[in-house]
Amino acid sequence: MTAKPLERVCYVEDDEDIQRIVRMSLERVGKMTVEIVGDPMLAIDAIIGFKPDLVMLDWMMPGMDGPTLFRKLREDPRTKDLPVVFITAKANPAELAELRSLGALGTISKPFAPKDLPDQLRALWNTLR
Amino acid sequence: MSTQAAPTTVYSREFATGADLEPAANPERRVFADRVAHLYRQSILGILLTLLVGVIISVELWAPRYRDVTIMWWLITIAIAAARYGLYRGYLQRTDHDEEKWLRWMAIGALAAGVNWGIAGAVFFPSHTDDQQVFLAFILAGLISGGIAVFSSVWWTYALYAAGIMVPFIYVLAAFGNRLFAELAMLVPVFYVANIAVAYRLDRVFSSGFRAKEDYTRIAREQDAMNAQIEEQLQELLNARREVEASGRKLTLFAERAPIAVLEFDANATVLEMNPAAENLFGYAIGELIGRNGLQMLFPVDEFGVNDSWWRDFVSGVRPATLDRLRCIRRDGLEIMCEFSFTPLVNDDGDVISIIAQGRDITQELEAERLKKEFTSTLSHELRTPLTSIIGSLQLINSGVLGDVEKDMSDLTMIAERNGQRLLDLINDLLDIEKIESGKFELSPQVVSLDSLLRDTLVLNKSFADRYNVRLALAEQLAPTKVEADPKRLVQVATNLLSNAAKFSPEGGTVDITLELKGALVRVGVHDRGPGIPEAFRGRIFSRFAQADSTATRQKGGTGLGLAICRRLIELMHGSIGFEDRPGGGTTFYFELPALNENAGANMPQQGALQ
Repeated sequence: MTAKPLERVCYVEDDEDIQRIVRMSLERVGKMTVEIVGDPMLAIDAIIGFKPDLVMLDWMMPGMDGPTLFRKLREDPRTKDLPVVFITAKANPAELAELRSLGALGTISKPFAPKDLPDQLRALWNTLR
Repeated sequence: MSTQAAPTTVYSREFATGADLEPAANPERRVFADRVAHLYRQSILGILLTLLVGVIISVELWAPRYRDVTIMWWLITIAIAAARYGLYRGYLQRTDHDEEKWLRWMAIGALAAGVNWGIAGAVFFPSHTDDQQVFLAFILAGLISGGIAVFSSVWWTYALYAAGIMVPFIYVLAAFGNRLFAELAMLVPVFYVANIAVAYRLDRVFSSGFRAKEDYTRIAREQDAMNAQIEEQLQELLNARREVEASGRKLTLFAERAPIAVLEFDANATVLEMNPAAENLFGYAIGELIGRNGLQMLFPVDEFGVNDSWWRDFVSGVRPATLDRLRCIRRDGLEIMCEFSFTPLVNDDGDVISIIAQGRDITQELEAERLKKEFTSTLSHELRTPLTSIIGSLQLINSGVLGDVEKDMSDLTMIAERNGQRLLDLINDLLDIEKIESGKFELSPQVVSLDSLLRDTLVLNKSFADRYNVRLALAEQLAPTKVEADPKRLVQVATNLLSNAAKFSPEGGTVDITLELKGALVRVGVHDRGPGIPEAFRGRIFSRFAQADSTATRQKGGTGLGLAICRRLIELMHGSIGFEDRPGGGTTFYFELPALNENAGANMPQQGALQ
């Protein structure tokens, strides 16, 4: 699908501490450009504006949870082809399987190791090639 | 006489009769034995009469010139009487049932007694006066007739006895030369034959009498046996009745005191009976429900559970049914969730007489289960989220990407990260064990290449082993070995065994990992050179929170749940896990899984460590 390296990542996450850690991890370790969105209701507009290579979604968020946001992204023609990775502390095998069948690229479980996170994302990114 | 020391029965106190024979003996044998016994019983009378008549004759016919002959006759008479008495005693003391033998001896005795009287007649008759001859003839005739009483139970013994008297007497009469005596000699045989006929008739009467007696004895015995049997059966019936009454009382007590609701319905779902627990469950008093339709009163809301069509199918199916979720309505309108089992009781014709329903309220249980699930989910999310921040921050600092940190500070952040990781491990283990034990653990089994999975696990654990300065060494040339398992969970098990082995290995040591095909099983072994498993710990090593000593937790880390989880995971994958002492010191932990068939032909290398 794409041969370009993973450079732009948008992360939708409500927890500010984790936002900072992910930003540091991806920017400092992974040398990527990162856009963090704290409110899932604003996420679609932010994603369309930022034009990321890949979107990371938290699972449980107030207002709208990750899976719902994911389905909305899939419904919008401007975002429907974006690769999406879930970062979650809650891993119900049946739900994960359903999301994969809807086209989620993969899941990274919380807690993740910040120094390994960029590699994990790139590994998932490379499966698209 | 038998020389064997076999137990013998002495029939000494009573006359042995057919009744002494085994009940199974031939009835005719028993009648025969009775007849012989009668002969012996009467023989004493015969002996006494012989002696009495002998005395009378001796007195009546006494003459000095016959002194020697009389004495001689008396000697013979006493000898025969003594012999017959001895025979009588012998019969009383006998230990056999050889009735023919005893009859033979009795017959010989009868003949001897008869002949003795015959000789008396022959000796005394010719030499005495006419009056005395008439007296003697009368006595002899009397003896012949009297013998009937003594010997007629076996007619031919009488025939021998009478012949013994008659033959010498006839000879004397015939030889006397007197016409009257000659005629008498011709008449005596006729008299003899008449007597024999009488004796024969009596013999038959005796036989039928004894037969009747035997029949009576047999019937009486059978009657006794039957009476005993009837009595026994009566007692059994009585006992059975008592048991039925007792179990009835017990059943009533069970139903009354049982914490579960018990209801009895007829085939149309009309309530027949219910216990106090059922009253409590539904809030109805017995009187309010009995005779009413249970479906309408108790289960009106359950469109999928117990409704009319379900009930019809259930009654016609005549099979017990269990519903683990049944919505019921209480008298106060409150809806409760119950678990109910319905058991039809059928008669011999297969018709349903009644249905026993047993159930209990599980509303609170279900609520508790839901709360537990929610709690687990919350625990999972709410604890992991802050831990993500804590461990993540510390990792970023410790990785050095944010720049160098002062040594003391870096030591402390290392400690904080390590302990954060321990806390995370504990949460993960607790969640795992909770899921496994509540039966909610779901595996995703697939065909797994065990050799490559082991290689990957080794790489994953290398940095952990490095921390303890321990080398992980995989056996040479692992042949492709496939199993059906959940790869993620298999990695978890292998990681647990490897990290344990690394933690307990001496510094600079090596942990060997082997893969063997053992028949239908694949065995993965993790071999260390650690201190071994303490004796007291061996029995509970796979139990929860099991650690050899509490200091190990502080020194080596770990939650004490790892091996318990490993065992359950491996068992879920139809395998087994265990450990054994390693020759030369240390321990081997292993797990075995069923090998997939395609391994069967594979040429597995022997175990060995990669250098």
